[in-house]
Amino acid sequence: MNRKFKSFKELEGCVIIYTDNYLNDIEGEELESTCDIFLNKGKKRVIIDFANTELINSIGISILIGIMEKIKEIKGILFFSGLKKINHDIFNVLGLTKYVPIFQTEDEAVKNIMTNNL
Amino acid sequence: MQNTDPRLERLLFNLDALAELGEELTSQKDFNRVIKSSLYMIIGTFSASKGAMFQFDHEQKIVHPIASKGIVNINDMTMKLKEETVEEIISLKTPIDIKNNDKVALLIGMGKADLEKLKARILIPLVVREDFLGLIFIGEKFSREAYTKDDIRLLSVIAHNIAVTLHSYSLLKKLMHKYDENKKLYENLSHIYYDTIHAFATAIDAKDAYTKGHSHRVSAYCAAIASEMTWSHKELEGIRIAGLLHDIGKIAIDKSIINKDNPLTKNEFIELNSHPVIGYEILSRVKFPWTEIAKISRCHHERVDGKGYPDGLKGNKIPCGVKIMTLADSFDAMSTDRPYRPALSASEVLIQLKENCGKQFDKDVLQSFFSIIRKEVYGENRPAILPLLRDSFAYQLKSEVLNGSINSFNPSKSRRKRVANHTIV
Repeated sequence: MNRKFKSFKELEGCVIIYTDNYLNDIEGEELESTCDIFLNKGKKRVIIDFANTELINSIGISILIGIMEKIKEIKGILFFSGLKKINHDIFNVLGLTKYVPIFQTEDEAVKNIMTNNL
Repeated sequence: MQNTDPRLERLLFNLDALAELGEELTSQKDFNRVIKSSLYMIIGTFSASKGAMFQFDHEQKIVHPIASKGIVNINDMTMKLKEETVEEIISLKTPIDIKNNDKVALLIGMGKADLEKLKARILIPLVVREDFLGLIFIGEKFSREAYTKDDIRLLSVIAHNIAVTLHSYSLLKKLMHKYDENKKLYENLSHIYYDTIHAFATAIDAKDAYTKGHSHRVSAYCAAIASEMTWSHKELEGIRIAGLLHDIGKIAIDKSIINKDNPLTKNEFIELNSHPVIGYEILSRVKFPWTEIAKISRCHHERVDGKGYPDGLKGNKIPCGVKIMTLADSFDAMSTDRPYRPALSASEVLIQLKENCGKQFDKDVLQSFFSIIRKEVYGENRPAILPLLRDSFAYQLKSEVLNGSINSFNPSKSRRKRVANHTIV
């Protein structure tokens, strides 16, 4: 489980948050808290990079939906990147891929998010 | 997976979620965490954006929030439910889609504002065998798609599992409450028990102006010696009580004999010496948790050389508890004033103890007693004996110890084994 989402990168106009290991228990709420911090600072473009995440379960999904709702409310942009196939399939089954663009790599996500108009 | 039927994929995801829920609900984690995790699992499984779980308090007839996600100020949302409302909720059995269903909102006494705040879309009653345990609300799906019949069926299974957990937790809480009540009752009874025994000890000592506090001191000396001999906590309690009651037979002895300052006549001597047997008769009728209390009272004037009374027991025929009691009783008698003589000095007491080692007193018990005194004087033990002595006597005793008069005492010149057959429990 990613206990502390201290791993992030702030770029001009967007922030990338890196998760690691697992997103499968309520400690994952720290991911949501970290996002809240940047949203409150006025960031409206957020990338969550799952390159190191092995497993996301229903608890993890509930946390990600919380983030999706918040970014939707502020009319921000959320991209996911680096999803492993197993996690991509879960997002697909739940229909999340319809609402959040997913990129193979963080770089691709950054390139696209900066050209996306709010 | 790309070529797999999406419905099968969905089913597998649901099965995974159910398996994880089962694991969570049966885990040893903190109850609040289990409940919160369970709610998050439901929300995640259906890609809902919000949700809350409420527990029913059977005494106050209210439902109060125990977990939530995505809802602010949820703690204000405590709802009072009428008896008939509870019955109607129980009759619902399955999760209800409450969109545009004012009847359900009215049923649980919530206004539209509350439902709006909860963003509630599905109401899930938590019921086990007609026992209403609470409610779960979950909000719209993130996709804003409707909940399907399959979703409702899955929710029903999940809700039942959560309800069983809540039910078990509620039973456990009731059990813990009963346990706490019984524990308090036991502690009260225990206090009454000890207070009564202390009152008896005070009454015993009150017969003799010279022996005020004797039973309490003997009790403390006994416990200190037994502790030095590594008796268990339960055994220590037993000998502590035995110390308080060892002279209970004196209650039946004429006060004029006990307090007589001249030599006793033969008949008076016989009467006074009957107090251990009278004590035994009194105490053997009481069901103590420690079975040898009556025997210790009977035998506390026995001697290891067999010249004691009333039974003339010798050596290992005398239980260790009795040997401890004999020493503690004699030490207190020698170190305090008696009607027929003033208290002995510490030096005289030590000489008496040493001279009577192996005659009146058991060697191992005496060694343990000296060991405690030494440790107390040198600050190695929390003082248990020294504070009970008269100041002048305690001062003399410390001087004796510092001069090495106890150190030189070594009846066997080798470390003795622990006395066998010491258990008084």
